[in-house]
Amino acid sequence: MKTSSTLKLVILRELRERGRSAAYIASTIITTVLILVAILLPTILGGSTGYSIGMVGAGNQEIVDLAIDIENADADAGEETEFSVVSYETVEAAEAALLDEEIDAALIGGSDIILRSASGASGDDLSDLLQYAASTLEIDRLVSTAGSDADVVDILAGEPLGLRTLEGVASEENQARTVIAYGGLMLMYIAVLSYGAWTLTGVTEEKSNRVVEVLLATVKPWQLLAGKVIGIGTLGLAQFVFTAVAALVTLRIAGTFDLPAFPTDSLMMLILWFLLGFAMYSLLFGAAGSLVSRMEDAQSASTPLTLVALVGFFMSFLVLDDPDGALAIAMTFVPLTAPFVVPVRFALDSISMVAIVGSVVVAIGFIIGATFLAGRVYAGGLLQFGSKLKWREALQSADV
Amino acid sequence: MLQMQDLTKSYGDVKALDGCTFAVGPGQMLGFLGPNGSGKTTTMRAIFGLIRLDRGAVTLDGAPIGQNDRLAFGYMPEQRGLYPKMKAADQLAYLGALHGMEPAEARRAGMALLDDLGLADRAGDPVEELSFGNQQRVQLAAALVHDPKVLVLDEPFNGLDPIGAETMANVLRQRAEGGATVIFSSHQLDMVEDLCEEVAVINAGRIVMEGNVRDLKAASPHRVIEFESSNGYAAVLDELEGVISTSFDGHRHTLIVPSHLDVRQVLNRADGDSGIQHISYSTPSLSQLFKEAVA
Repeated sequence: MKTSSTLKLVILRELRERGRSAAYIASTIITTVLILVAILLPTILGGSTGYSIGMVGAGNQEIVDLAIDIENADADAGEETEFSVVSYETVEAAEAALLDEEIDAALIGGSDIILRSASGASGDDLSDLLQYAASTLEIDRLVSTAGSDADVVDILAGEPLGLRTLEGVASEENQARTVIAYGGLMLMYIAVLSYGAWTLTGVTEEKSNRVVEVLLATVKPWQLLAGKVIGIGTLGLAQFVFTAVAALVTLRIAGTFDLPAFPTDSLMMLILWFLLGFAMYSLLFGAAGSLVSRMEDAQSASTPLTLVALVGFFMSFLVLDDPDGALAIAMTFVPLTAPFVVPVRFALDSISMVAIVGSVVVAIGFIIGATFLAGRVYAGGLLQFGSKLKWREALQSADV
Repeated sequence: MLQMQDLTKSYGDVKALDGCTFAVGPGQMLGFLGPNGSGKTTTMRAIFGLIRLDRGAVTLDGAPIGQNDRLAFGYMPEQRGLYPKMKAADQLAYLGALHGMEPAEARRAGMALLDDLGLADRAGDPVEELSFGNQQRVQLAAALVHDPKVLVLDEPFNGLDPIGAETMANVLRQRAEGGATVIFSSHQLDMVEDLCEEVAVINAGRIVMEGNVRDLKAASPHRVIEFESSNGYAAVLDELEGVISTSFDGHRHTLIVPSHLDVRQVLNRADGDSGIQHISYSTPSLSQLFKEAVA
C-alpha cells in the first residue's frame, strides 16, 4: 500500500477519534469561554464610562456643558456618563495632569484640545464629543448673527478646535500590533504546550495499551508519528483559529480595545509560527512519549521539553521590552525559542525580512532533523515495555 | 511457504534467538511451543519485521518479506492491544483499511466478523466497555478482518473460557482449511494436540523438535503403558527390567517404557502380582514429548 494512504488513514483516525472526543470539544469551549470572559470582564465591571476634562483659561465652560448635554441626551436616569471637570492655572499644569492620567483631555481657551496620544481609546471619543459641541455652538452663533453666508455643512464637517497630542502620534495599527504581540505570545505558549501534551499522551496511550504492536505490523513508526503530529496539529490549529476569531469578534463588539485596522500580516506570521512551533515541539513530545510505558511516567519524560518552552516564553517578555536587542536576535535563530520571539518582533516591526527567512529556514531544518531523530527514538522506544527508557537507549535500539 | 531461516537475535548478553529454523506451508496450522522466555514472541515479531535480526531471515515462498507482503498478514500479539475508547466496528474498519482494504469493504468485513463471533450488537460500543472475553474476540477479529494469508497468533487461548477457546479453535481451523498459513503459540498442549498436525518446539532460541505430531509420536523411543490395579500399588513394577519410570496416582499406574520393550511381559508380571484392568498402550502425549524435548 502506498505510504501516502497509510499516512492519510492515521491522520484521519486522529481527526475522527480525537476531534469528536468530549475532551476536545470541552477544551475548545472552555478555552473560548475563558478568553471571552477575559475580554468582556472590564466592560461588564466598568459599567458606564466617565470622562475627566481639564480646563485652562476662559471660553471652555460653554463647550463642556453642551458636550455633557449631548452625551447624556438619550441616557436614562442613573445611566448617564459622568463628567468631572478640573480647572488649571496654566497649560503646563494641565499637560502634567494629562500625562499623569488624571484627566483624559485638556481644553484650552475654548479653542484647542490637548490629548495624551492620538489613539487613547477614551480620549478619541471625548475629543470627537468636544469638537461636536464646539461646532454646534458655532452654528448657534451663526444663526443668531443675521446675514451670515457661512456654510453650515463646512462647519459641521470641520474641526473647530485645534488638536495636539503630547506623545506624538501613535497609530492605531501600532497599538493593534502590540496587542497581537502580547496576545500571540500567550496563545503560542498555551498552544505549543497543550497540543504538545496531546501528542505526548497520544503516543504513550498507544504504547501503554499495546495497540502499537498491532499497528507496527503494517505501519512504519515514522508514519505513525507523523500522522499523529499532523492530525493533532490540524485539530490544534482549528481550535486555535476558532478561539482567536471568537476573541477578535468579541473585541470588536465589546469595544474593549480599538482595533480598527487589523494587521493581517501579523496574524499570518502568528499562524506560520504556530505551525512551525507545534511541529518542533510535538515531534519531540512524541518521541518523549514513546520512552515510557505508563501514563504516569509521561509527564516526567516530557519535563525537559516543558522547561525549554517555559524558558523561551519568559525570555520573550524581555524581547517585548527590547525587540532589537542581542537577546532578541539570538533567540530568533534558536529553533525552540524562535516561535515565541519572531512573531513578537514582527508585530513590533523590528525584524528584517532576511532574519525572518533565516529563522524559518533554521526552524524547518530543525523539524527535518527532529523528524529523523524522533522517528528513531520512537521506533526504538515503542516496543520496549517496562521502566522508562533513556533517549540514548531508545536511539540505539531502533530496530525498524 | 513461510520459512524461518537461522533467526538469531541477542539483547545484550541474552540470546533471544539462536539459529531458529522452521517452516509452515499454506493450509497448515502449526503449534509453536516452548517454555516461557524461549523465543516465541521474538520469532513472531521477526515475522512482522518488528525487530532487526542479528542474522537470518524470514522468507515467504523464498523471497524476503516486504511491507506489502505484510498487508496480507494478520497478527494477534500476546499483549492484547486495541484503542480502548474506539468503537469495535470503527477499530476493525481502521485496521482493515491499514491492511489495504477499501474503507467500505473493511467496515463490511469487520461487521461480518463481529456477527460471526456473536458481537454484532456490541459493534457500536467502545472496546473498553466490553467484557474481557469479548475484547479477546474483537482482538481476534482485528487479526482476521483483512482475510490474511498468513495468520500469527501469540497465545490466542490465554484467558479464554472453554466456550471461547472452542470458538477460537474453530475459527483457526476454518482459516487453515481455507488455505491460510496459521502459526500460534500456546502452553495448552492438549489443545494443540487436538488442533494441530504440525508443531515446532523452541527452547533457548532454537528449535528442538519439529514436525507432524503423529510422526513425532511414532518416532519417539518411548511408549506409555497405563493400567489400574485392584489392590493398590504394584510393587513388582519396580523390579521390572527396561521400565524407564513409573508413577501412581493412587488409582492408576503410568509406565514409560522403551518402544521396543515387549509389553506383554510387563503386563503379565503386573497382572500376576496384583490383577490389572483398563489397560492402555500408546505413544507418548505431546505434553510428554514437549517435556523431553525441553528438558
